Amino acid sequence: MKITLQWLRRYVDFNGTPEDLAERLTMLGLEVEGVQRTGAEFDGVVVAQVITRDPHPNADKLSVCRVNDGQGERIIVCGAHNFQAGDKVPLILPGHALPARRGEPPYTIKVGKIRGIESHGMMCSPSELGLSGDAEGLLILPPTAPVGQPFAEFLGRSGQDVVFDLEVTPNRPDLNSVIGIAREISAATGQPLRLPETTLAEDPDSRAADGVAVRIEDPDLCPRYTARLIRGVKIGPSPDWLRRLLELVGLRSISNVVDVTNFVMLETGQPLHAFDYRLISRAAGEAGQEGLPTIVVRRARPGEKIATLDGQERSLTTDMLLIADEQRAIALAGVMGGLNSEINDRTADVLLESAYFKPTSIRRTSKLLDLRSDASYRYERGADIGIADWASRRAAQLILETAGGRLASGVVDAYPRPAAPRHVSVRFARTDALLGIPIPAAEQVGHLRRLGLEPMAAGGSETTPEAAGIATVQIPSFRVDLKEEVDLIEEIGRLHGVDRIPATPPRGALGAHPHDAVHDDLAAARRLLCGLGLSETQGQTLISDALAARVLPPEEAGSIVRLGNPLSSDMNVLRPSLTAGLLDALRRNINRQESDLALFEIGRVFRLREAAPADERHLGLALTGRRHQPFWSGADRSQTLDLYDLKGILEEFLDLFGVRGYSYARRAGAHPLFLESAQIVQGKQVLGEIGQLLPAAARQLDLRDAVLVAELSMDLLLARRNASKQFRPLPAFPSVRRDVAMVAPESLTHEAALGAIRKARPTHLEAVELFDVFRGGQVPAGHKSMAYALTYRHPERTLTDAEVNAIHEKLVASLKQDLPVQVREG
Amino acid sequence: MPALIDQIEPLKQAALAQFQAAEDMAALDQARSQFLGAHGQFTALMKQLGALPKEEKPAAGKQINQAKGELEAALAARRSELELAAVLPKDPTDFTLPGRRRGLGCSHPLTQVIEDIVRSFRKLGFVVADGPEIEDDYHCFDALNTPADHPARDTQDTFYLDHPTPRLLLRTHTSSVQIRVMEKQAPPIRIIVPGRVYRRDNADATHNPTFQQIEGLYVDRGVTVGDLKGTVEFVFRELLGADTRIRFRPHYFSYTEPSFEIDFANATVRKMGKAWLEIAGCGMVHPQVFVNVGYDPEQWTGWAFGFGIERIAMLRYGVNDIRLFYENDQRFLRQF
Repeated sequence: MKITLQWLRRYVDFNGTPEDLAERLTMLGLEVEGVQRTGAEFDGVVVAQVITRDPHPNADKLSVCRVNDGQGERIIVCGAHNFQAGDKVPLILPGHALPARRGEPPYTIKVGKIRGIESHGMMCSPSELGLSGDAEGLLILPPTAPVGQPFAEFLGRSGQDVVFDLEVTPNRPDLNSVIGIAREISAATGQPLRLPETTLAEDPDSRAADGVAVRIEDPDLCPRYTARLIRGVKIGPSPDWLRRLLELVGLRSISNVVDVTNFVMLETGQPLHAFDYRLISRAAGEAGQEGLPTIVVRRARPGEKIATLDGQERSLTTDMLLIADEQRAIALAGVMGGLNSEINDRTADVLLESAYFKPTSIRRTSKLLDLRSDASYRYERGADIGIADWASRRAAQLILETAGGRLASGVVDAYPRPAAPRHVSVRFARTDALLGIPIPAAEQVGHLRRLGLEPMAAGGSETTPEAAGIATVQIPSFRVDLKEEVDLIEEIGRLHGVDRIPATPPRGALGAHPHDAVHDDLAAARRLLCGLGLSETQGQTLISDALAARVLPPEEAGSIVRLGNPLSSDMNVLRPSLTAGLLDALRRNINRQESDLALFEIGRVFRLREAAPADERHLGLALTGRRHQPFWSGADRSQTLDLYDLKGILEEFLDLFGVRGYSYARRAGAHPLFLESAQIVQGKQVLGEIGQLLPAAARQLDLRDAVLVAELSMDLLLARRNASKQFRPLPAFPSVRRDVAMVAPESLTHEAALGAIRKARPTHLEAVELFDVFRGGQVPAGHKSMAYALTYRHPERTLTDAEVNAIHEKLVASLKQDLPVQVREG
Repeated sequence: MPALIDQIEPLKQAALAQFQAAEDMAALDQARSQFLGAHGQFTALMKQLGALPKEEKPAAGKQINQAKGELEAALAARRSELELAAVLPKDPTDFTLPGRRRGLGCSHPLTQVIEDIVRSFRKLGFVVADGPEIEDDYHCFDALNTPADHPARDTQDTFYLDHPTPRLLLRTHTSSVQIRVMEKQAPPIRIIVPGRVYRRDNADATHNPTFQQIEGLYVDRGVTVGDLKGTVEFVFRELLGADTRIRFRPHYFSYTEPSFEIDFANATVRKMGKAWLEIAGCGMVHPQVFVNVGYDPEQWTGWAFGFGIERIAMLRYGVNDIRLFYENDQRFLRQF
């Protein structure tokens, strides 16, 4: 909402600078988003007269003009065509700036050569001056304009003004009006509010009620409709003060009558509409007589259409409220007028509508038609049902002033069920308890009074509200936001000043919530992964269905959770896995020449489970590129990462995080994403998956090196985490190591070998370490040599060689029996 | 043949020269046995000592012992030199060359900001709570006193799932967790809720359809606006610096009454050429919200506030584009 300082001052005095006012309004809850001084905008612009106009010697489309600026002559090179010698035009002198356009810096005019001829200023078009009108040609001023006069003075705009741009919160529709804001300032400062007098010169010979009838068919959606009639107006441009005011606050001047309705809407917050009275058809009267032109307020009929003022034809639904006559729709109630009854140059008689429509109805209509107007904006937030007639009188008065005509006496005011006044009570002690400061009862009452909330005598008794500790106030019709006690407490707090409420040091109960520990578990996981050299990412929750499908086996594509109203196909589903985002992060980095990457994310993923969307926290890891940080020497420095790197990271992480007893189940058969992969399982529960991306899939993402990916259910890891620690005494006696090397077929897994060792239950075995896997040489094809180091230790004494040898030999014998291996002795 | 005493010094000098000349351990060992071995020249000299006349013995003995001591010291010194030389790398270490680094990862800047905020609140007795990102209209809007025709419920702003019944949406704010927690727990409540939220905005430098908020909720007996101010001022001073000033401005949110917007001012804001910068919204929990979760608003009061994590991170680190947080460019991630 834009208002100007001068406009505001018509209704309330304010002693202080515009900045003071901005601060005051902001602290009242009316945030000032911009303060712009006007009047200085035409600095350096004067009325000038073109003396000669000649073609530019070097440019077809330009002319070279001698121009009198009132002080003397200057040469101006000009690109416009709509003028001739003798015309008077606005001229901006070098060194001065044109009014800035929204979002652009001001443009300063300089002396400069244009195609070889020096130009000393610029003749201006209306749009260059920020005025409404034709952008094509110069603004041609009337011949009477005095040459040399400052342009602002010529426009009658020498008085400076300040435009405030205010953010009005949706609960305060009353502040979408200058009077509403003045009322707020009056309440805050104690300066009286001055409302304009609306004494009307009514034509005693004609009555509105004899000229128009109003029939409300849907009083639920339109509780009140008033109509006034002004005959014999002359439609024309608005007077300067009106044009200027509307332009300053960002509205286009249209014609005197329409401008008045807009002015009064801005002044009072009450939307008004003017119809051409003669275009409203008459009802069929009794006994063949013609009835009165009749306003019918009704819902649209099935399939009904209306052409609105913006020239669009709108298809209506039966929820939408219309203003109609007996034959057709003439306006979309509270949203926009109809073309068929619009004020036009030939309009002589005006029917002035001032009504109240239900916010929900207007909002629904406006949303369904995607049509928003200043009127719908105000109605959908809640207009003031009490002001409808006053605003109509105010507009009638101004129409008579600006367009002439005769006002039919009286008003047709269809208001079948006048709203009963609402009452709300506030307990002063409750105010103190909520705000945290004692505000004396008399002061609270004072704040309420200033807001026009006069406390009523409690039940006719003699007790004052102060003594009773409670005030009951009648809510003015414009304060639709005041519904209950806490709303009044807010008002008292606002006028008292939030800054006067002292901050109290934190105190009170300790919080409790089961997630608190989870938050720490997640933080611990992040710390471990960072320590392992992975950087944390945060991917988009919303991704494309194509990317989502790429990371899922085809049979799971149906489990993707889709948006009903996506913004674009790039973001139309909820991520089913973190791998999608991690791969995207790898791709993005590689494209920016960052090729050595180790990333993880902990975040939620979404899948349909039994047809209902469900979320789950996951952990995703992705690696690609070189194993080691860049170094300047060494044969292994350019080695790239492989699956064992990722597996090592994962194992270290799970060990330290406290997840044990899991194993890997190699996936047999083809997988849409992985070249090789395995499920990470714990008992029957699949914790996640680890694998290497198919080279083809990697190439699609511009990834050249092996891409290693793992994704696990973080929720499962959290559930199975055992982070408890137990001290074990450090061994006091030395250990003894014995090695065993076995030539085994390729199909024998490490896990099977370990299993066989465990099964043999060698006494005093402390640890088993696989220290070499070797192929080739004397190892036959299809086989591998696996070398294990076994550590034996007795907790209470030193083992002898003989003891260890006996245990170890028994183990070797058992392995030979249980595994398809040849043990290499020695 | 010169007198014994006169042979000592030349022989010592010869031995010292040989020790010094030895280039490796073998040469040094050989020199040692040449002079100090059982058949060495110096040993031979010592053996002759017994043959000297009695009056010459003390002087010669003293001199010879002294010389032997010097030779042994020189030998040990040369041995240490040669030992060290043997283990010194062929190419001396250039301490200006880059070392072999082990890379640590970095946690995401948004995670770091959340952790800092959580730490501040925990000092005040708050715990971290959580709630679903897929929500229903009731928890995201109705229960928060945002009626069906409220502007905030525009489908323009909210992502709905392609899921007819029940109608599901992506929460537009973490405030829905207020309801979830109060439905389950009896007062008092003292929680903060970091989490992802979603708005149907096209991505640009200040908008991303996914972003993160943190919500604070405190419900107890006798909670006041003064308490709200005290907590907010404490947390934002911790977060934005001790020079931070906080201002409360009346505002409107449907689920709090009175409602405020919080502005802050500090050196960062002044550098941006502004007096105040909006940072958060807050207010006293609306009595209707308490009624909706079954709390008695006459007994319990409380406050809630919420703010954007990205905004804090952008201010703190000077990040100029919100999308950078979700692009995961390593060069970006490693700056924090």
